[in-house]
Amino acid sequence: MSIESREAAAALNDISEIARRVRQSTIYILASLMLIMWGGLTFAGYLASYLWPRYAGYGWVAVYVAGIAGTIIISPLNQTRSGVRTFDLRMFTAFVLFVAFGIFASVWLGHFTPRQLGTFWPIYFMLVYVIVGLWVGRAFVAIGLSIIALTLIGYFFVGDAFDLWMAFVDGGGLILGGLWMRRN
Amino acid sequence: MAELDDIIHQPLRLKIMAALNALPAAAAGLEFSRLKKLTGATDGNLGAHIETLARAGYVAVDKAFVGKKPQTTVTATATGRGAFARHVATLQEIIAASAGQS
Repeated sequence: MSIESREAAAALNDISEIARRVRQSTIYILASLMLIMWGGLTFAGYLASYLWPRYAGYGWVAVYVAGIAGTIIISPLNQTRSGVRTFDLRMFTAFVLFVAFGIFASVWLGHFTPRQLGTFWPIYFMLVYVIVGLWVGRAFVAIGLSIIALTLIGYFFVGDAFDLWMAFVDGGGLILGGLWMRRN
Repeated sequence: MAELDDIIHQPLRLKIMAALNALPAAAAGLEFSRLKKLTGATDGNLGAHIETLARAGYVAVDKAFVGKKPQTTVTATATGRGAFARHVATLQEIIAASAGQS
């Protein structure tokens, strides 16, 4: 069989496009699992903050511990399926540095109020989604910007029910985003 | 110049092989439904072309039940990966030869 170079170039383009879509769908499948898990935990964290504000700090520590444990469990399951290693020591170190800087900026430097903390963390996390989304897929950008906008609406316009608002906006938003990614 | 692989060169089979080869060799393959979305093919068409690739020994098809739902998973075999790599190399050679002539 012989073909012209134009046809060969078209075939190679098809191959590159399919490979790009496989990589993106692999990322979306893992990300959707993570979003749903973190969404559930975040929902619980904000709900606990709303119901028992005095113990909110302990609640959020529990959320982070459960989230990291869940991520460590999901990662090898995904590795078996996709062959791609997704959570390793480097990823864990990046997460610790990210959270450490958040604590340094919001608690040590900023002395934020609980309401400001509840606004800062989702925006801080969603900023990463938006930046990562510039490379791996527009869904991350859309989810990140939507949650940032709704968080700011809550901060400025929602009164005492702010934590309850955030439970649905942040927790619910992550779950919905994860389900949407899974479907697509 | 090496010959193109007739089995792989058909457009849908090329997409199937490209999708399967985009995964690391250790991966568990792609489910039929995901392959369908990635290639934009219909059930019947996709099934027929997977069958052709399986007969050539380029892919392995695994049918299992996940809960009560049947799930078909398609994986590129070592033979298939080798054939695909040679096919891509031949495509690149054609382009390089054409560039050399002009």
